[in-house]
Amino acid sequence: MSHPKILVADDDSTIRRFIVTLLADRGYEIHEAVDGEQAFKVAESVRPDLMLLDLIMPYRDGFDVLYDLKHDPGTSEIPIIIMSVKDREEEIVKGLNMGAEDYVVKPFNSLELVARVRKILERENRRAG
Amino acid sequence: MSEILIRALWVLGGVLFFLSVYIIANKALREMTERRVAWTRGELEPKILEYVNGKGERLGAALPPLGRADRRVVEDVLLDNGRFLKGNARDRITAACEDLGYVRDRMRQLKSSRWWRRAEAAEKLGTMKSPKAAAELIALMRDEMPEVRMRAARALGQLETRSSVKPLIGTLQDPNRWSALRIADILAGMGPEAADELVESFATLPAKARVAAVDCLGRVKSHRAAGLLIKLLSDPDRDIRARAAHSLGLIGDPNFTPDLQRALKDPAWPVRAMAAKALGKLGRPEAVAPLFDLLRDREWWVRINAAEGLRSMGDSGLAALVNAIDSEDRYARHAAVATLEGAGVLDQYVEKLVSADEKEREAALTLIRKIVAAERTDHLMQAASRHAQEKVREQLSRLLTPPEVKVQVKA
Repeated sequence: MSHPKILVADDDSTIRRFIVTLLADRGYEIHEAVDGEQAFKVAESVRPDLMLLDLIMPYRDGFDVLYDLKHDPGTSEIPIIIMSVKDREEEIVKGLNMGAEDYVVKPFNSLELVARVRKILERENRRAG
Repeated sequence: MSEILIRALWVLGGVLFFLSVYIIANKALREMTERRVAWTRGELEPKILEYVNGKGERLGAALPPLGRADRRVVEDVLLDNGRFLKGNARDRITAACEDLGYVRDRMRQLKSSRWWRRAEAAEKLGTMKSPKAAAELIALMRDEMPEVRMRAARALGQLETRSSVKPLIGTLQDPNRWSALRIADILAGMGPEAADELVESFATLPAKARVAAVDCLGRVKSHRAAGLLIKLLSDPDRDIRARAAHSLGLIGDPNFTPDLQRALKDPAWPVRAMAAKALGKLGRPEAVAPLFDLLRDREWWVRINAAEGLRSMGDSGLAALVNAIDSEDRYARHAAVATLEGAGVLDQYVEKLVSADEKEREAALTLIRKIVAAERTDHLMQAASRHAQEKVREQLSRLLTPPEVKVQVKA
Protein backbone atom coordinates (compact mmCIF):
# COMPACT_ATOMS: atom_id res chain seq x y z
CA MET A 1 0.00 0.00 0.00
CA SER A 2 2.21 2.88 -1.22
CA HIS A 3 -0.32 5.73 -1.05
CA PRO A 4 -3.39 4.53 0.83
CA LYS A 5 -6.61 6.15 -0.35
CA ILE A 6 -8.73 7.91 2.26
CA LEU A 7 -12.21 9.27 1.65
CA VAL A 8 -13.22 12.25 3.81
CA ALA A 9 -17.02 12.68 3.90
CA ASP A 10 -18.05 15.86 5.69
CA ASP A 11 -20.36 18.70 4.65
CA ASP A 12 -18.24 21.26 6.53
CA SER A 13 -15.64 22.51 4.05
CA THR A 14 -13.37 23.90 6.81
CA ILE A 15 -13.15 20.48 8.46
CA ARG A 16 -12.59 18.78 5.09
CA ARG A 17 -9.78 21.15 4.17
CA PHE A 18 -8.15 20.69 7.57
CA ILE A 19 -8.23 16.89 7.35
CA VAL A 20 -7.07 16.93 3.72
CA THR A 21 -4.02 19.03 4.69
CA LEU A 22 -3.37 16.91 7.77
CA LEU A 23 -3.42 13.59 5.94
CA ALA A 24 -2.07 14.61 2.51
CA ASP A 25 1.07 15.88 4.27
CA ARG A 26 1.56 12.36 5.57
CA GLY A 27 1.45 10.81 2.13
CA TYR A 28 -2.16 9.67 1.89
CA GLU A 29 -4.22 10.07 -1.29
CA ILE A 30 -7.32 11.98 -0.25
CA HIS A 31 -10.79 11.97 -1.84
CA GLU A 32 -13.64 14.16 -0.66
CA ALA A 33 -17.43 13.97 -0.44
CA VAL A 34 -19.65 16.86 0.59
CA ASP A 35 -22.86 14.99 1.47
CA GLY A 36 -24.21 11.53 2.25
CA GLU A 37 -25.26 10.78 -1.31
CA GLN A 38 -21.87 11.67 -2.73
CA ALA A 39 -20.10 9.79 0.08
CA PHE A 40 -21.75 6.54 -0.98
CA LYS A 41 -21.06 7.11 -4.69
CA VAL A 42 -17.39 8.05 -4.18
CA ALA A 43 -16.89 5.10 -1.83
CA GLU A 44 -18.31 2.76 -4.47
CA SER A 45 -16.21 4.16 -7.30
CA VAL A 46 -12.91 4.87 -5.49
CA ARG A 47 -12.99 1.92 -3.03
CA PRO A 48 -10.87 3.79 -0.47
CA ASP A 49 -8.64 1.98 2.03
CA LEU A 50 -10.28 3.98 4.81
CA MET A 51 -13.19 6.37 5.17
CA LEU A 52 -13.75 9.23 7.62
CA LEU A 53 -17.50 9.70 7.87
CA ASP A 54 -19.43 12.58 9.43
CA LEU A 55 -22.89 11.70 10.80
CA ILE A 56 -24.80 14.91 10.18
CA MET A 57 -24.81 15.52 6.41
CA PRO A 58 -27.36 16.67 3.84
CA TYR A 59 -29.44 14.22 1.76
CA ARG A 60 -28.39 11.11 3.71
CA ASP A 61 -27.04 10.99 7.24
CA GLY A 62 -23.89 9.13 8.18
CA PHE A 63 -25.70 6.15 9.77
CA ASP A 64 -27.60 5.67 6.53
CA VAL A 65 -24.41 5.73 4.49
CA LEU A 66 -22.69 3.39 6.96
CA TYR A 67 -25.58 0.90 6.76
CA ASP A 68 -25.55 0.85 2.96
CA LEU A 69 -21.76 0.56 2.71
CA LYS A 70 -21.67 -2.32 5.18
CA HIS A 71 -24.46 -4.16 3.32
CA ASP A 72 -22.88 -3.77 -0.12
CA PRO A 73 -20.43 -6.62 -0.82
CA GLY A 74 -18.24 -4.22 -2.81
CA THR A 75 -17.77 -1.76 0.05
CA SER A 76 -18.44 -3.77 3.22
CA GLU A 77 -14.72 -4.26 3.88
CA ILE A 78 -13.86 -0.52 3.85
CA PRO A 79 -12.85 0.44 7.41
CA ILE A 80 -14.84 3.46 8.53
CA ILE A 81 -14.07 5.97 11.26
CA ILE A 82 -17.11 8.00 12.29
CA MET A 83 -16.35 11.63 13.15
CA SER A 84 -19.18 13.46 14.83
CA VAL A 85 -20.23 16.08 17.33
CA LYS A 86 -22.74 13.51 18.61
CA ASP A 87 -21.09 12.29 21.78
CA ARG A 88 -23.86 10.33 23.47
CA GLU A 89 -23.10 6.78 24.50
CA GLU A 90 -26.05 5.42 22.47
CA GLU A 91 -24.81 7.03 19.26
CA ILE A 92 -21.26 5.78 19.73
CA VAL A 93 -22.46 2.25 20.50
CA LYS A 94 -24.85 2.37 17.54
CA GLY A 95 -22.07 3.43 15.16
CA LEU A 96 -19.69 0.73 16.36
CA ASN A 97 -22.43 -1.92 16.31
CA MET A 98 -23.24 -0.98 12.73
CA GLY A 99 -19.70 -1.83 11.73
CA ALA A 100 -17.62 1.34 12.14
CA GLU A 101 -14.02 0.66 13.14
CA ASP A 102 -13.75 3.66 15.41
CA TYR A 103 -15.68 6.71 16.60
CA VAL A 104 -14.01 10.10 16.99
CA VAL A 105 -15.94 12.85 18.76
CA LYS A 106 -15.54 16.45 17.54
CA PRO A 107 -13.74 18.52 18.70
CA PHE A 108 -10.95 16.06 18.03
CA ASN A 109 -7.22 15.86 18.59
CA SER A 110 -5.54 15.87 15.16
CA LEU A 111 -2.53 13.82 16.27
CA GLU A 112 -4.83 11.20 17.77
CA LEU A 113 -6.77 11.06 14.52
CA VAL A 114 -3.59 10.48 12.51
CA ALA A 115 -2.57 7.71 14.93
CA ARG A 116 -5.96 6.01 14.63
CA VAL A 117 -5.87 6.22 10.83
CA ARG A 118 -2.34 4.81 10.72
CA LYS A 119 -3.18 1.97 13.11
CA ILE A 120 -6.23 0.86 11.15
CA LEU A 121 -4.40 1.03 7.81
CA GLU A 122 -1.45 -0.97 9.19
CA ARG A 123 -3.81 -3.64 10.49
CA GLU A 124 -5.63 -3.82 7.16
CA ASN A 125 -2.29 -4.02 5.39
CA ARG A 126 -1.20 -6.95 7.58
CA ARG A 127 -4.54 -8.66 7.03
CA ALA A 128 -4.19 -8.29 3.26
CA GLY A 129 -0.83 -10.02 3.64
CA MET B 1 -48.52 73.31 -14.23
CA SER B 2 -47.10 71.00 -16.90
CA GLU B 3 -43.64 72.52 -16.29
CA ILE B 4 -43.84 71.60 -12.60
CA LEU B 5 -44.89 68.09 -13.57
CA ILE B 6 -41.97 67.74 -15.99
CA ARG B 7 -39.52 68.96 -13.32
CA ALA B 8 -40.95 66.53 -10.78
CA LEU B 9 -40.54 63.69 -13.28
CA TRP B 10 -36.92 64.75 -13.89
CA VAL B 11 -36.22 64.82 -10.17
CA LEU B 12 -37.86 61.41 -9.70
CA GLY B 13 -35.94 60.00 -12.67
CA GLY B 14 -32.70 61.41 -11.28
CA VAL B 15 -33.31 59.92 -7.84
CA LEU B 16 -34.14 56.51 -9.37
CA PHE B 17 -31.03 56.67 -11.56
CA PHE B 18 -28.70 57.46 -8.64
CA LEU B 19 -30.39 54.85 -6.49
CA SER B 20 -29.84 52.21 -9.20
CA VAL B 21 -26.21 53.22 -9.61
CA TYR B 22 -25.73 53.09 -5.83
CA ILE B 23 -27.29 49.60 -5.57
CA ILE B 24 -25.26 48.25 -8.51
CA ALA B 25 -22.02 49.78 -7.22
CA ASN B 26 -22.68 48.49 -3.71
CA LYS B 27 -23.37 44.97 -4.99
CA ALA B 28 -20.27 45.04 -7.18
CA LEU B 29 -18.17 46.23 -4.26
CA ARG B 30 -19.54 43.49 -1.99
CA GLU B 31 -18.85 40.82 -4.62
CA MET B 32 -15.34 42.15 -5.17
CA THR B 33 -14.71 42.09 -1.42
CA GLU B 34 -16.05 38.53 -1.16
CA ARG B 35 -13.83 37.42 -4.05
CA ARG B 36 -10.84 39.11 -2.53
CA VAL B 37 -11.52 37.45 0.83
CA ALA B 38 -11.92 34.04 -0.88
CA TRP B 39 -8.70 34.58 -2.83
CA THR B 40 -6.79 35.68 0.29
CA ARG B 41 -8.18 32.73 2.20
CA GLY B 42 -7.10 30.38 -0.58
CA GLU B 43 -3.60 31.86 -0.48
CA LEU B 44 -3.14 31.98 3.29
CA GLU B 45 -5.11 28.97 4.51
CA PRO B 46 -2.58 26.29 3.48
CA LYS B 47 0.18 28.12 5.39
CA ILE B 48 -2.09 28.53 8.44
CA LEU B 49 -3.10 24.84 8.38
CA GLU B 50 0.52 23.76 8.04
CA TYR B 51 1.30 25.79 11.15
CA VAL B 52 -1.73 24.43 13.03
CA ASN B 53 -0.61 20.90 12.14
CA GLY B 54 2.77 21.47 13.77
CA LYS B 55 5.03 23.14 11.20
CA GLY B 56 7.15 26.04 12.52
CA GLU B 57 7.27 27.81 15.85
CA ARG B 58 5.34 30.99 14.99
CA LEU B 59 2.56 31.57 12.46
CA GLY B 60 3.64 35.19 11.97
CA ALA B 61 6.94 34.03 10.49
CA ALA B 62 5.16 31.93 7.85
CA LEU B 63 2.82 34.69 6.65
CA PRO B 64 3.52 37.70 4.41
CA PRO B 65 2.92 41.21 5.84
CA LEU B 66 -0.81 41.47 6.47
CA GLY B 67 -3.12 44.38 5.69
CA ARG B 68 -6.22 45.06 7.80
CA ALA B 69 -8.53 42.95 5.59
CA ASP B 70 -5.98 40.12 5.45
CA ARG B 71 -5.69 40.11 9.23
CA ARG B 72 -9.45 39.55 9.47
CA VAL B 73 -9.19 36.59 7.06
CA VAL B 74 -6.37 34.99 9.09
CA GLU B 75 -8.39 35.41 12.29
CA ASP B 76 -11.43 33.80 10.65
CA VAL B 77 -9.40 30.82 9.42
CA LEU B 78 -7.86 30.30 12.86
CA LEU B 79 -11.18 30.53 14.70
CA ASP B 80 -13.06 28.40 12.13
CA ASN B 81 -10.54 25.62 12.71
CA GLY B 82 -10.60 26.19 16.47
CA ARG B 83 -14.25 25.08 16.53
CA PHE B 84 -13.52 21.41 15.93
CA LEU B 85 -9.98 20.92 17.26
CA LYS B 86 -8.51 20.16 20.65
CA GLY B 87 -5.08 19.22 21.95
CA ASN B 88 -1.84 20.46 20.44
CA ALA B 89 -3.41 21.90 17.26
CA ARG B 90 -5.89 23.86 19.39
CA ASP B 91 -3.11 25.20 21.61
CA ARG B 92 -1.23 26.38 18.52
CA ILE B 93 -4.31 28.32 17.38
CA THR B 94 -4.43 30.09 20.78
CA ALA B 95 -0.68 30.83 20.57
CA ALA B 96 -1.12 32.28 17.06
CA CYS B 97 -4.01 34.49 18.21
CA GLU B 98 -1.84 35.85 21.01
CA ASP B 99 1.25 36.20 18.80
CA LEU B 100 -0.56 38.01 15.95
CA GLY B 101 -2.26 40.44 18.34
CA TYR B 102 -5.85 39.20 17.87
CA VAL B 103 -6.31 38.66 21.62
CA ARG B 104 -5.05 42.18 22.33
CA ASP B 105 -7.31 43.71 19.63
CA ARG B 106 -10.42 41.92 20.86
CA MET B 107 -9.65 42.84 24.47
CA ARG B 108 -9.54 46.47 23.36
CA GLN B 109 -12.88 45.96 21.59
CA LEU B 110 -14.41 44.85 24.92
CA LYS B 111 -14.37 48.52 25.89
CA SER B 112 -16.34 49.65 22.82
CA SER B 113 -19.31 51.92 23.45
CA ARG B 114 -21.41 49.71 21.14
CA TRP B 115 -22.80 46.70 22.99
CA TRP B 116 -22.81 44.39 19.95
CA ARG B 117 -19.09 45.00 19.46
CA ARG B 118 -18.41 44.09 23.09
CA ALA B 119 -20.55 40.95 22.65
CA GLU B 120 -18.72 39.97 19.45
CA ALA B 121 -15.33 40.54 21.07
CA ALA B 122 -16.29 38.37 24.06
CA GLU B 123 -17.42 35.58 21.77
CA LYS B 124 -14.20 35.69 19.72
CA LEU B 125 -12.05 35.72 22.87
CA GLY B 126 -13.86 32.61 24.06
CA THR B 127 -13.02 30.83 20.80
CA MET B 128 -9.40 32.01 21.04
CA LYS B 129 -9.23 30.37 24.50
CA SER B 130 -6.46 32.67 25.67
CA PRO B 131 -6.20 32.76 29.49
CA LYS B 132 -4.85 36.29 29.07
CA ALA B 133 -8.42 37.47 28.47
CA ALA B 134 -9.82 35.96 31.70
CA ALA B 135 -9.63 39.12 33.85
CA GLU B 136 -11.29 41.32 31.19
CA LEU B 137 -14.03 38.77 30.59
CA ILE B 138 -14.69 38.50 34.33
CA ALA B 139 -15.03 42.31 34.44
CA LEU B 140 -17.39 42.17 31.44
CA MET B 141 -19.77 39.99 33.42
CA ARG B 142 -20.86 43.21 35.13
CA ASP B 143 -21.83 44.79 31.76
CA GLU B 144 -25.17 46.59 31.62
CA MET B 145 -26.37 44.50 28.61
CA PRO B 146 -27.60 40.98 29.46
CA GLU B 147 -26.44 39.62 26.06
CA VAL B 148 -22.90 40.91 26.64
CA ARG B 149 -22.84 39.43 30.15
CA MET B 150 -23.98 36.03 28.88
CA ARG B 151 -21.43 35.97 26.05
CA ALA B 152 -18.71 36.90 28.54
CA ALA B 153 -19.83 34.01 30.76
CA ARG B 154 -19.82 31.59 27.81
CA ALA B 155 -16.37 32.81 26.78
CA LEU B 156 -15.08 32.28 30.33
CA GLY B 157 -16.44 28.75 30.21
CA GLN B 158 -14.52 28.13 26.99
CA LEU B 159 -11.24 29.29 28.58
CA GLU B 160 -11.45 26.26 30.90
CA THR B 161 -9.17 27.91 33.44
CA ARG B 162 -9.69 27.47 37.17
CA SER B 163 -9.75 31.24 37.65
CA SER B 164 -12.89 31.48 35.49
CA VAL B 165 -14.88 28.90 37.49
CA LYS B 166 -15.37 30.99 40.65
CA PRO B 167 -16.85 34.07 38.94
CA LEU B 168 -19.24 31.80 37.04
CA ILE B 169 -20.37 30.12 40.24
CA GLY B 170 -20.65 33.60 41.74
CA THR B 171 -23.34 34.46 39.15
CA LEU B 172 -25.50 31.69 40.59
CA GLN B 173 -25.81 33.85 43.72
CA ASP B 174 -27.72 36.43 41.70
CA PRO B 175 -30.71 34.71 40.06
CA ASN B 176 -32.30 38.04 39.10
CA ARG B 177 -29.45 38.89 36.75
CA TRP B 178 -28.43 35.45 35.50
CA SER B 179 -30.18 32.35 34.24
CA ALA B 180 -29.03 29.58 36.56
CA LEU B 181 -29.75 26.95 33.90
CA ARG B 182 -27.58 28.64 31.27
CA ILE B 183 -24.73 29.10 33.75
CA ALA B 184 -25.06 25.45 34.80
CA ASP B 185 -24.76 24.53 31.11
CA ILE B 186 -21.52 26.49 30.85
CA LEU B 187 -20.14 24.99 34.07
CA ALA B 188 -21.05 21.46 32.96
CA GLY B 189 -18.96 22.00 29.82
CA MET B 190 -15.94 22.92 31.96
CA GLY B 191 -15.54 19.47 33.52
CA PRO B 192 -14.32 18.22 36.89
CA GLU B 193 -12.67 21.49 38.00
CA ALA B 194 -16.04 23.21 37.88
CA ALA B 195 -17.52 20.31 39.88
CA ASP B 196 -14.92 20.67 42.64
CA GLU B 197 -15.65 24.37 43.02
CA LEU B 198 -19.39 23.75 42.93
CA VAL B 199 -19.11 21.19 45.72
CA GLU B 200 -17.14 23.68 47.82
CA SER B 201 -19.57 26.58 47.25
CA PHE B 202 -22.79 24.55 47.32
CA ALA B 203 -23.87 25.53 50.83
CA THR B 204 -23.71 29.25 49.94
CA LEU B 205 -25.96 29.01 46.86
CA PRO B 206 -29.61 30.15 46.82
CA ALA B 207 -32.32 27.49 46.38
CA LYS B 208 -32.88 27.82 42.60
CA ALA B 209 -29.18 27.81 41.90
CA ARG B 210 -28.70 24.70 44.04
CA VAL B 211 -31.05 22.72 41.78
CA ALA B 212 -29.06 23.83 38.70
CA ALA B 213 -25.79 23.05 40.50
CA VAL B 214 -26.92 19.50 41.39
CA ASP B 215 -27.85 18.97 37.74
CA CYS B 216 -24.48 20.26 36.65
CA LEU B 217 -22.64 17.89 39.04
CA GLY B 218 -24.36 14.92 37.42
CA ARG B 219 -23.58 16.09 33.90
CA VAL B 220 -19.90 16.54 34.74
CA LYS B 221 -19.98 12.92 36.07
CA SER B 222 -17.50 13.76 38.78
CA HIS B 223 -17.09 11.03 41.39
CA ARG B 224 -15.79 13.69 43.74
CA ALA B 225 -19.35 15.06 43.93
CA ALA B 226 -20.79 11.67 44.98
CA GLY B 227 -20.57 12.32 48.75
CA LEU B 228 -22.50 15.57 48.46
CA LEU B 229 -25.11 14.08 46.12
CA ILE B 230 -25.77 11.12 48.45
CA LYS B 231 -26.17 13.56 51.35
CA LEU B 232 -28.60 15.61 49.25
CA LEU B 233 -30.89 12.58 48.90
CA SER B 234 -32.01 13.57 52.43
CA ASP B 235 -32.32 17.32 51.71
CA PRO B 236 -35.56 18.95 52.91
CA ASP B 237 -36.25 20.26 49.35
CA ARG B 238 -37.85 17.55 47.20
CA ASP B 239 -36.52 19.06 43.96
CA ILE B 240 -32.97 18.84 45.30
CA ARG B 241 -33.54 15.20 46.35
CA ALA B 242 -34.95 14.35 42.89
CA ARG B 243 -32.11 16.04 40.99
CA ALA B 244 -29.54 14.40 43.28
CA ALA B 245 -30.99 10.97 42.45
CA HIS B 246 -30.91 11.82 38.75
CA SER B 247 -27.29 13.01 38.99
CA LEU B 248 -26.19 9.87 40.82
CA GLY B 249 -27.67 7.88 37.94
CA LEU B 250 -25.70 9.99 35.44
CA ILE B 251 -22.44 9.36 37.34
CA GLY B 252 -23.43 5.69 37.12
CA ASP B 253 -21.45 4.05 39.94
CA PRO B 254 -23.19 0.76 40.97
CA ASN B 255 -22.12 1.46 44.58
CA PHE B 256 -24.87 4.10 44.74
CA THR B 257 -27.51 1.32 44.51
CA PRO B 258 -28.35 1.07 48.27
CA ASP B 259 -28.74 4.87 48.58
CA LEU B 260 -30.99 5.05 45.52
CA GLN B 261 -33.02 2.05 46.72
CA ARG B 262 -33.73 4.03 49.90
CA ALA B 263 -34.83 6.96 47.72
CA LEU B 264 -37.45 4.68 46.11
CA LYS B 265 -39.36 4.95 49.40
CA ASP B 266 -39.24 8.76 49.44
CA PRO B 267 -42.66 10.36 50.20
CA ALA B 268 -42.26 12.72 47.19
CA TRP B 269 -43.07 11.07 43.85
CA PRO B 270 -40.51 13.04 41.74
CA VAL B 271 -37.76 11.60 43.96
CA ARG B 272 -39.08 8.05 43.54
CA ALA B 273 -39.35 8.56 39.77
CA MET B 274 -35.80 9.86 39.41
CA ALA B 275 -34.38 7.18 41.70
CA ALA B 276 -36.11 4.47 39.63
CA LYS B 277 -34.60 5.77 36.40
CA ALA B 278 -31.17 6.13 38.01
CA LEU B 279 -31.25 2.57 39.35
CA GLY B 280 -31.94 1.33 35.81
CA LYS B 281 -28.73 3.07 34.69
CA LEU B 282 -26.67 1.42 37.47
CA GLY B 283 -27.94 -2.01 36.40
CA ARG B 284 -27.48 -3.93 39.70
CA PRO B 285 -29.62 -7.11 39.91
CA GLU B 286 -30.66 -6.40 43.52
CA ALA B 287 -32.61 -3.38 42.22
CA VAL B 288 -34.93 -5.55 40.07
CA ALA B 289 -37.27 -6.52 42.95
CA PRO B 290 -37.77 -2.98 44.34
CA LEU B 291 -38.31 -1.61 40.82
CA PHE B 292 -40.85 -4.39 40.17
CA ASP B 293 -42.72 -3.32 43.34
CA LEU B 294 -42.63 0.28 42.14
CA LEU B 295 -44.64 -0.65 39.03
CA ARG B 296 -47.66 -0.46 41.41
CA ASP B 297 -46.84 3.09 42.56
CA ARG B 298 -49.83 5.43 42.64
CA GLU B 299 -48.08 8.00 40.38
CA TRP B 300 -47.96 7.18 36.66
CA TRP B 301 -44.57 8.85 36.13
CA VAL B 302 -43.02 6.69 38.85
CA ARG B 303 -44.52 3.56 37.27
CA ILE B 304 -43.24 4.51 33.81
CA ASN B 305 -39.75 5.25 35.16
CA ALA B 306 -39.71 1.98 37.11
CA ALA B 307 -40.59 0.11 33.91
CA GLU B 308 -37.98 2.12 31.99
CA GLY B 309 -35.44 1.32 34.73
CA LEU B 310 -36.19 -2.40 34.45
CA ARG B 311 -35.84 -2.22 30.67
CA SER B 312 -32.39 -0.61 31.03
CA MET B 313 -31.24 -3.49 33.25
CA GLY B 314 -31.11 -6.06 30.45
CA ASP B 315 -32.42 -9.63 30.60
CA SER B 316 -33.29 -9.74 34.31
CA GLY B 317 -35.21 -6.47 34.04
CA LEU B 318 -37.04 -7.57 30.89
CA ALA B 319 -38.00 -10.88 32.56
CA ALA B 320 -39.46 -8.87 35.45
CA LEU B 321 -41.46 -6.76 32.98
CA VAL B 322 -42.83 -9.88 31.30
CA ASN B 323 -43.87 -11.19 34.75
CA ALA B 324 -45.54 -7.85 35.50
CA ILE B 325 -48.02 -8.44 32.67
CA ASP B 326 -49.66 -11.03 35.01
CA SER B 327 -49.82 -8.56 37.86
CA GLU B 328 -53.15 -8.07 39.61
CA ASP B 329 -52.44 -4.35 39.52
CA ARG B 330 -53.82 -2.79 36.33
CA TYR B 331 -51.28 0.08 36.37
CA ALA B 332 -48.35 -2.31 36.67
CA ARG B 333 -49.67 -4.38 33.74
CA HIS B 334 -50.08 -1.32 31.54
CA ALA B 335 -46.66 0.18 32.41
CA ALA B 336 -45.00 -3.17 31.65
CA VAL B 337 -46.74 -3.61 28.27
CA ALA B 338 -46.05 -0.01 27.22
CA THR B 339 -42.35 -0.39 28.00
CA LEU B 340 -42.04 -3.76 26.25
CA GLU B 341 -43.70 -2.23 23.19
CA GLY B 342 -41.43 0.83 23.25
CA ALA B 343 -38.28 -1.28 23.65
CA GLY B 344 -39.18 -3.43 20.62
CA VAL B 345 -39.37 -6.57 22.81
CA LEU B 346 -42.96 -7.21 21.81
CA ASP B 347 -42.03 -7.12 18.11
CA GLN B 348 -39.29 -9.68 18.74
CA TYR B 349 -41.83 -12.03 20.33
CA VAL B 350 -44.25 -11.48 17.43
CA GLU B 351 -41.51 -12.65 15.04
CA LYS B 352 -41.05 -15.79 17.14
CA LEU B 353 -44.67 -16.83 16.55
CA VAL B 354 -43.48 -18.58 13.37
CA SER B 355 -40.08 -19.68 14.71
CA ALA B 356 -38.82 -23.18 13.84
CA ASP B 357 -37.95 -23.61 17.53
CA GLU B 358 -40.97 -24.92 19.43
CA LYS B 359 -39.83 -23.41 22.75
CA GLU B 360 -39.53 -19.97 21.18
CA ARG B 361 -43.01 -20.32 19.65
CA GLU B 362 -44.45 -21.35 23.01
CA ALA B 363 -42.78 -18.40 24.78
CA ALA B 364 -44.17 -16.01 22.17
CA LEU B 365 -47.68 -17.48 22.45
CA THR B 366 -47.60 -17.27 26.25
CA LEU B 367 -46.50 -13.62 26.22
CA ILE B 368 -49.04 -12.55 23.61
CA ARG B 369 -51.88 -14.33 25.44
CA LYS B 370 -50.86 -12.46 28.60
CA ILE B 371 -51.00 -9.14 26.74
CA VAL B 372 -54.41 -9.99 25.30
CA ALA B 373 -55.60 -10.82 28.81
CA ALA B 374 -54.16 -7.50 30.05
CA GLU B 375 -56.30 -5.74 27.39
CA ARG B 376 -53.41 -3.81 25.87
CA THR B 377 -53.72 -5.02 22.29
CA ASP B 378 -53.31 -1.83 20.17
CA HIS B 379 -49.78 -2.68 19.09
CA LEU B 380 -50.66 -6.31 18.37
CA MET B 381 -53.69 -5.25 16.30
CA GLN B 382 -51.43 -3.11 14.13
CA ALA B 383 -48.99 -5.99 13.69
CA ALA B 384 -51.92 -8.29 12.79
CA SER B 385 -52.88 -6.04 9.90
CA ARG B 386 -49.46 -4.83 8.73
CA HIS B 387 -46.85 -7.52 9.44
CA ALA B 388 -44.88 -8.57 6.35
CA GLN B 389 -45.43 -12.32 6.92
CA GLU B 390 -48.87 -13.71 6.25
CA LYS B 391 -48.41 -16.54 8.78
CA VAL B 392 -47.67 -14.02 11.54
CA ARG B 393 -50.74 -11.98 10.60
CA GLU B 394 -52.93 -15.10 10.69
CA GLN B 395 -51.56 -16.25 14.06
CA LEU B 396 -52.04 -12.82 15.59
CA SER B 397 -55.57 -12.46 14.23
CA ARG B 398 -56.47 -15.82 15.78
CA LEU B 399 -54.98 -14.81 19.14
CA LEU B 400 -56.74 -11.45 19.09
CA THR B 401 -60.19 -12.81 18.15
CA PRO B 402 -62.31 -13.29 21.31
CA PRO B 403 -63.64 -16.84 21.74
CA GLU B 404 -67.22 -17.30 20.55
CA VAL B 405 -69.78 -17.22 23.30
CA LYS B 406 -71.99 -20.24 23.10
CA VAL B 407 -75.56 -19.36 23.97
CA GLN B 408 -77.76 -22.21 25.06
CA VAL B 409 -81.31 -21.75 24.02
CA LYS B 410 -83.78 -23.43 26.27
CA ALA B 411 -86.49 -25.28 24.50
